[in-house]
Amino acid sequence: MRRYIIRRILQAILLLFLMSVGLFLLIHALPGGPAAVIAFNPHLTLAARQALIRRFGLDKPLYLQYFYWITAALRGNFGFSYVDGQAVTALLGQTFGNTLELFGSALVFALILAVPLGVISAIRHYTITDYLITVLAYFGISMPIFWFGLIVQLIFGVQLHWLPVVGQRTYGYNLDPFDTFIDYLQHLILPMCVLSLAFIAGWSRYMRSSMLETIQQDYIRTAKAKGLGPVATLVRHALRNALIPLVTVVAIDFGSIAGGAAVTETVFAWPGMGRLFIDSLTARDYPVLLAMLLLSAVVVILFNLIADILYAVLDPRIRYS
Amino acid sequence: MEIQEEMATTAPVLEITPQLTRARRSQLRIIFDRFMRNRVAVAGAIVLIIMTLAVIFAPLLTHNSPTAIDLAHVYAPPSLAHPFGTDDLGHDEFARALYGGRVSLAVGVSSMLVAIFIGVTLGAVAGYYGGWIDNLLMRITDVFLAVPLYLIVFVLSASFSDGSIKSVVFLIAIFGWMYAARLVRGEFLAIKEREFVLAARTIGAKDFRLMFRHILPNAAGPIIVNATLLIGSNIILEAVLSFFGFGIQPPNASWGSMLNNAQDVMTNDPLLVYIPGLLIFITVLCFNLVGDGLRDALDPYMTER
Repeated sequence: MRRYIIRRILQAILLLFLMSVGLFLLIHALPGGPAAVIAFNPHLTLAARQALIRRFGLDKPLYLQYFYWITAALRGNFGFSYVDGQAVTALLGQTFGNTLELFGSALVFALILAVPLGVISAIRHYTITDYLITVLAYFGISMPIFWFGLIVQLIFGVQLHWLPVVGQRTYGYNLDPFDTFIDYLQHLILPMCVLSLAFIAGWSRYMRSSMLETIQQDYIRTAKAKGLGPVATLVRHALRNALIPLVTVVAIDFGSIAGGAAVTETVFAWPGMGRLFIDSLTARDYPVLLAMLLLSAVVVILFNLIADILYAVLDPRIRYS
Repeated sequence: MEIQEEMATTAPVLEITPQLTRARRSQLRIIFDRFMRNRVAVAGAIVLIIMTLAVIFAPLLTHNSPTAIDLAHVYAPPSLAHPFGTDDLGHDEFARALYGGRVSLAVGVSSMLVAIFIGVTLGAVAGYYGGWIDNLLMRITDVFLAVPLYLIVFVLSASFSDGSIKSVVFLIAIFGWMYAARLVRGEFLAIKEREFVLAARTIGAKDFRLMFRHILPNAAGPIIVNATLLIGSNIILEAVLSFFGFGIQPPNASWGSMLNNAQDVMTNDPLLVYIPGLLIFITVLCFNLVGDGLRDALDPYMTER
């Protein structure tokens, strides 16, 4: 088992190294490169431009630039934003918390709904209930997220006036802490529901097939033959084993936190990392973009690794294969 | 006489039944019949066929041009002249839906074809030759898979794409081939050990011929399913790109860019938001249904019910 983990970790590190090289080359391949702001600025004279390029070390050979960048990045220094000069890590730190709140709550909400839906669908498979849940799952998978967000904004915000349409809180009011919290929840609900729809749809179908496979196992039949009631067999035997594949899927989906909420955050103007990415893209703010791309890849690879290790921990059969 | 009677009663009697004389169904016919039994998938296929015909024959269905501006009739409700109403510049929404559908569907299908071509080639080479080639190609696939899809596509489209259909197609295809490659590699690893491959090799078939004439047709099932589902996700990806202003640029219009337009004038005319999104949703839903139907029809281990 230890060898398996070590092997996976080494593979992940190799992958990360390749990714960093690839992203670094990508930024240099973009029109203007990292010095786009310098190169395309009409106000700079040629001498000033060259001085700036020398100052930022952009005239050094490529592998040297990569070395400087990666050693700084490993120490947590990702440079400064072109837009307002803030340290990139500071910018990311501000927005990361917001994205975590949105994504985390969406994930938890999706789990709470998806597991029971999948289980019910499996127990009553091929009945009307199963059919309805499957239809809903198909709808969820095929729905374009941004359209669903717009529709939800239209119906609940504009036409019914039940919930606020954009943002994280209402500005211009000084509310007491409890009302601030309620206001925050009101702003959180719509984007959270929109973001969790895709997860609910996918996970409930996954849970259904996993549960169907588990129910047909011999040990479930033994438990029933020994007289264990339906609820107990379900919870104590079937559910624990059926949840294992789902855990790995959830871990991998959690890895898409860094970039996955970009669409929802932009539609609902939620001040998170996804919206920061879109804004930086429009402003061609390359230090921020590069840092975010690298961090997202790191998170994805990290959570894939966690998912693999978790699967091996939870399911002893995997370790010995 | 007795012996003959005994033989007549104990010998097995071969009855010529209709089942024995029925014409043998070809493999394609069997798959077709199984697909037809799945009524939901058939419904999805019919909707897709209708939609494809509608966007191909758009000039026959509407006399309005999708780019004709009519500022006297903005935000018009649906009527006989404008079945879906008009938008903020007076464009006929029905015409824009049809012509935009051409772009969306064309991008979806062509990017799928390019992605499948890349994926199948890479997967076939990796699966057939094995060894270090397999290792190298799978590492490359892993790198592409680890990149957060939407982020990288946004960056590339903002920097390299000029809004034309061709660049959007290639952009989407570059990040859609990985699943097909993995799939094909797995199939090739399994199939290349079978006897018929060994037999073909014994009579002198070269690598290329083995790969594409013998092994690939047997791996076609999962590839077709993956391709169908890929069209759905490509359509959504193109819609997201255009929605953010990175994909299809004016004068071309796709359903995604129509939504981008509609977002700004959402409160004036909600219908502009409902129509393009609904079209995207129905199209992707139908592709998913057909893809799942194909998966069930092509699975050789499913028993006939």
